[in-house]
Amino acid sequence: MDAVIRTENLSKHYGRLKAVNNVSIHVRKGEIYGFLGLNGAGKTTTIRMLLGLICPTTGSSWLNGTKVSPGNAEIWNNVGYLVEIPNSYPNLTVRENLEIVRRMRFMNGQETVTEIIEKLKLGPYSNVIARNLSLGNAQRLGLAKALLHSPEILLLDEPANGLDPAGIVEIREMLKDLATNRGVTVFVSSHILGEISRLATRIGIINNGVLIRESSVKEMEILRKKCLQVRTLNQLEALGLFKKNNYSFTTGEDGMIELTGDEAILAPEKIATILVNSGNPPVLLRVYEEDLETFFLRVISLKEDDK
Amino acid sequence: MKSLYAALYCELLKIRRSRVFLISLVFFVFISLMMGLLMLIAKHPELAENSAILSTKASLIGTADWPSYFDLLMQLGLVLGVIGPGIVTIWVFGREYSDRVIKDILAMPVSRFYIICSKLIVVFFWSFLLLTLMFLTGIFAGLLTGLDKWDTALLIKNLIVYSESSLLTILLITPVALITCVSRGYLLPVGFLILIMIITQFLFVGLEGLAPYFPWAIPALITGVAGADTPAAVIVSYIIMGAASLAGFLGTAAWWRYADHH
Repeated sequence: MDAVIRTENLSKHYGRLKAVNNVSIHVRKGEIYGFLGLNGAGKTTTIRMLLGLICPTTGSSWLNGTKVSPGNAEIWNNVGYLVEIPNSYPNLTVRENLEIVRRMRFMNGQETVTEIIEKLKLGPYSNVIARNLSLGNAQRLGLAKALLHSPEILLLDEPANGLDPAGIVEIREMLKDLATNRGVTVFVSSHILGEISRLATRIGIINNGVLIRESSVKEMEILRKKCLQVRTLNQLEALGLFKKNNYSFTTGEDGMIELTGDEAILAPEKIATILVNSGNPPVLLRVYEEDLETFFLRVISLKEDDK
Repeated sequence: MKSLYAALYCELLKIRRSRVFLISLVFFVFISLMMGLLMLIAKHPELAENSAILSTKASLIGTADWPSYFDLLMQLGLVLGVIGPGIVTIWVFGREYSDRVIKDILAMPVSRFYIICSKLIVVFFWSFLLLTLMFLTGIFAGLLTGLDKWDTALLIKNLIVYSESSLLTILLITPVALITCVSRGYLLPVGFLILIMIITQFLFVGLEGLAPYFPWAIPALITGVAGADTPAAVIVSYIIMGAASLAGFLGTAAWWRYADHH
């Protein structure tokens, strides 16, 4: 299937600084693509290039098969977006800010504005001027502007910013629903791995402007480090025992033995038996599963080491 | 046309909800009324005998009659014809940057070119409204003051010259729009306006020979407001003025089209 969002060797250089370097991404229809990276990794620059706000130094991007170009206004008919801080006209009310978007998108009927206000739970604030909104409600207004015209493509930069936990869940479910039931393609950037892993179907990790890893959430689960951690009264003796029994292992900084093979992880009771029988019983035996954040940081640090 | 209409609607909504529009109207009315007050003091010096500042200014006017008052209004129109529309331009273009909403209007189905056009249309009418209001309030203040030598023909003549000079100065707001966009804020274009004012004054005071070649001095030469001692506008003057206006417009359009918008 053709990619709805596509970038080919997209780069943006500011002098010597390579803010984005040769990023190629393909996002299929109905996919939720999580774009993950630390602050300053190049997420926002990539989104801005996808939106035609920044001209790439090299490479190109396509939305729905049409090349992104600042002169091609029609391309934005089916694109909703939220870039970084959700700014709105501070002197205008929530409704008026949405009215501006409605007019700029040539949409008929004011009821669409009312509907999106209700959908994003902005009803009590519809006549409040944007300057007086809390960060969370300003974010909701930003999302309302992105969703007003029921776009086929959503480009969202840190959409969970400023939202309370209930709001984060609500927006997550809404985006999932849009992707699953209406085939909306979502490209969402964040530095919060936990949030992205709950939302996205595929994740790309960008670091120092380079896309260092791209895989589905399921693949990422597999790639996460798992091991059986073992501590005994005599670690040296235990190491010799594992070596003799052909177990693959590493030792952690604190001297903890980490058995990495499935034969150990899936049968810890067997390891316990071996240790007890050798007269060196374990004082600690646990299956360790790397959490997503640690995985993310490890992937980034591996790439840093490669350099 | 649909794009232009949509963009215009949005610009008008932003203006309607802003205090700046009302403040600008009040300011221009206030300036006119102050001119009327000065004429009143020129006519009745005893009213300001305790205020050295007012009486000195009023004494500069000379005779307190309609011909002098029209001259004063014309001069005022020339100065405020640059500052007023300039400030309006800076606000209309600069607020997109200061409110950080520029990114919200660039990836819309409305072409960026039409957004610029709508902004310039709004600036044009807003500026013309301000200058018209200043003239009308000025006439009203003059009538209240009871100036001598009223002449309807003189009013019509001055009205034509004033309108012509206002239109020409408003046409020169496009370079201000460009500088506002490039600098992404208010400070640099305000500095640019001040610089224009200073250069124009220098040209009229001591470097009259260069006046026909400086865009912002040319409207005064074309309309004859600068006085008989200054050189007349030449063909090149018209070309320079038109080129400055066109360059500002095309430059702004190119900036919106090709520059990176952070």
